[in-house]
Amino acid sequence: MSLQFVVDGLLTGSMIGLGAIGVTLTYSILRFSNFAHGDFMAWGTYATLAVVSAIGAMVGKVAPIGPLSFGWPLIVALIVGMAFTALLALLLDKVLFARLRSQGQAIIVVMASFGASMALRSLLEFTFTSRPTYFSRAIQIAMPVGFGIRITPDQIALLLLTAVLVLGVHLLMTRTQTGRSMQALSQNAALARIVGIDVASVVRVTWVIGGALACVAGVMIGILVQIRPFMGFDMLLPMFAAAILGGIGSIPGAVLGGLIIGLAEAGAVQLIGAEWRAAVSFIILMAVLFVRPIGLFGVRER
Amino acid sequence: MDLLGYGAFFLTTALIFSLVTLGLNLQWGLTGLFNVGLAGFVAIGAYTSALLTTPDDAARLGGFGLPILVGWLGAMVVGGIAAALTGMATLRLRSDYLAITTFGVAVVVQLVALNAQKLTGGPFGIGFIPRPFGSLAETPLLFNLSNLAVVSVVTLIAYLALEHLSRSPWGRVLKALREDERAAISLGKSARFYRVQAFAVGGAIMALAGALQAHFTGFIAPDNYLPILTFQVWVMLIVGGSGSNLGAVIGSILVWAIWAGSGTLTSILFPPEQQARAAALQIAAIGVMLCVILLIRPNGLFGDRPRRSRFSKRAKIAAGESSSGS
Amino acid sequence: MSEIVLDVRDLEAGYEPGVPIVRGASITVRKGEIVVVLGPNGAGKSSFIKAIAGLVPITGGTVFLDGKDITAAPAHTMVRLGLAFVPQTENIFPLMSVEDNLRVACGILERREIPARIEEMYAAFPDLVRQRRTAAGNLSGGQRQMLAVARALIVHPKVLVLDEPSAGLSPKFVSMVFEMLANIRKSGVTILLVEQNAKAALAIGDRAYVLVEGKDRHEGIASELWNDPVVAELYLGQRPLKSEGGSAA
Repeated sequence: MSLQFVVDGLLTGSMIGLGAIGVTLTYSILRFSNFAHGDFMAWGTYATLAVVSAIGAMVGKVAPIGPLSFGWPLIVALIVGMAFTALLALLLDKVLFARLRSQGQAIIVVMASFGASMALRSLLEFTFTSRPTYFSRAIQIAMPVGFGIRITPDQIALLLLTAVLVLGVHLLMTRTQTGRSMQALSQNAALARIVGIDVASVVRVTWVIGGALACVAGVMIGILVQIRPFMGFDMLLPMFAAAILGGIGSIPGAVLGGLIIGLAEAGAVQLIGAEWRAAVSFIILMAVLFVRPIGLFGVRER
Repeated sequence: MDLLGYGAFFLTTALIFSLVTLGLNLQWGLTGLFNVGLAGFVAIGAYTSALLTTPDDAARLGGFGLPILVGWLGAMVVGGIAAALTGMATLRLRSDYLAITTFGVAVVVQLVALNAQKLTGGPFGIGFIPRPFGSLAETPLLFNLSNLAVVSVVTLIAYLALEHLSRSPWGRVLKALREDERAAISLGKSARFYRVQAFAVGGAIMALAGALQAHFTGFIAPDNYLPILTFQVWVMLIVGGSGSNLGAVIGSILVWAIWAGSGTLTSILFPPEQQARAAALQIAAIGVMLCVILLIRPNGLFGDRPRRSRFSKRAKIAAGESSSGS
Repeated sequence: MSEIVLDVRDLEAGYEPGVPIVRGASITVRKGEIVVVLGPNGAGKSSFIKAIAGLVPITGGTVFLDGKDITAAPAHTMVRLGLAFVPQTENIFPLMSVEDNLRVACGILERREIPARIEEMYAAFPDLVRQRRTAAGNLSGGQRQMLAVARALIVHPKVLVLDEPSAGLSPKFVSMVFEMLANIRKSGVTILLVEQNAKAALAIGDRAYVLVEGKDRHEGIASELWNDPVVAELYLGQRPLKSEGGSAA
């Protein structure tokens, strides 16, 4: 088989991994599986698209940066989109999740996230229809880099962006007071309050990080594949599988889990065909649950 | 006459939904097991029964031309086994894992339905599924009424059996386990086995509902089993009130009435090219409705789960759980 | 007599409304004292002290810290107000290093003050220095208790509140922990502790209260309380097993 699957896998894995960071943070800090996380992705992408269009309408056509398919408007729009998605997550928490959380039944929150997911996705379908759309219709020429692998400038840029974001989040989690507070809260919520950590503010940071990264993952899909209302929902299973494979609560784990699933998907596409891609995450998920439910970097619940 | 025929048709569909909701109520309402992939189990039942009962088709495996009742039994067995396997994989873990796994089951079943052409007919699905009163199809009213009679009888049997089960010692154990997830996990194998049983029986009932639906319409395709189905049934159970079998049935009829009614309304109000968008808005509205019910009336109409105060014993357990590390 | 640091008046608290576990308990703690709260099993000692720390809802009465009413203050504001609490169990973050356990508690300190303050804690608890990079979950029971106390002290609390610091420890560690508390008091820190191990606690305490059925039933000088007949009847008589006082929680 061709080694091209490595590049494809790393790209898919980056998208999954960035999304899985949000999933794993929500699970370890707020203690529920957020089924609306995929729809944060889609909303972030459409928001970014809207801002790109708005900038385009205001300043006219902007030349792309170097060999990339997009110019500065997309970068500005992405930042706006990240902020928007973070706010959306905060809002949803305020009106829905936080209220249910205070009733003390975690699984009700999961169900509410399922309902919210349906509502969010359908609203996108209502506003933008289910027709796919694109950031740019320009076709990029893939450059050969040896070993039969070809890669486009966009792909290189997005892989670098992923690496920078993952490193940034990792440093935030391990080197800053905010990150330590998040770790503390996920390990022992009662003790976290005792040592003076304001749970509400840590919860807000969690949503902001999860929402912003979901938006980046969505925009990556938008640049490399296409934009559809279901784009995020279809990523849900791979993201959950990546978070569980990596070990719930572990950010390096979520990213590594995402890369493994991305590579496995890309390999499966070459070997058995694209139509079975979605089954890969499920098989990996089942294997992890049977063999090592705590995942690669997880710690046993005590 | 037309109205009566439509009424029978409507009620038949609503009662098939009721059957799925009853299965979910056994899993969630009685046992506290979270199934967000129930569309997958319904699909398994529909395809199994279709495969067993349709006449031989050169393009795919089977069909085997077996009697309809054999198809329904087969659907229950396969659906039950699928649910039992799902349960065994996840029931020693926190409930979120079951949720994620069932979600995955639905994705994979959808994938198989779409892509395993030799088994499922692919995107075009399976047709010529025998109908229990196919000979009556000439007179639609009689046909609809006899279908309604069959579905009513099956639903009634399921309802009575589940009522009996929930009052039996078995049901009481399940309720006790539902109240304390931690105990349910730590009690080990025996408790887990109870929960797997409940999940399997629930899955079998959902599969039976899928089979009924298949034989009632005579045609199935992957599109019938999208996540929207899971969502509809959840709304039905929550509206009716989880924990109550009566609530499951009434909630299903009520929500299906709202769903079908608002569907008719949008088809009248919106021009054909806007139909898809209007349908999306309808789903969004019902998604919001689910969240609102969870917020203001988590017991639904007939639910038996006491609403717990912030600092109840249960909340203490939850706090203890969250303080014990991840 | 020195000034009152902590003044708890007629405290009522419990998880469910209408079902108080603490039913009108009053105590005072003066600057520089060690005050011990004793009581038979189920007397509400733990709920009492958790209510003071903001962890159990208070339904009646008041708590004053340094003259300020902190009855309604949320748990996470307690360190800023000057009350540092050490829970009985699960009082460290097991997956974080010893140093991060200390650092995460420094939220209210000035940023530049933190490194020096951490070094001061290491100086006070030399056992922790060698373990600074170790995950706290791998520490021994006694070391965990030290870390938990160091983490509470790092923010210069006006009063250190401990819930059964000797619970679950082997006898060797029990005496070590009480020695540590006595030393902390010598450095000027005010201490309030709930204990099951009455003998050891009274040996280091200045004054003690006996809590029965959620109310303070008796107060006295710690060294005299051990021989007090009322206490013997109320408390010692109900003690399930004399030698296991420390672990019966």
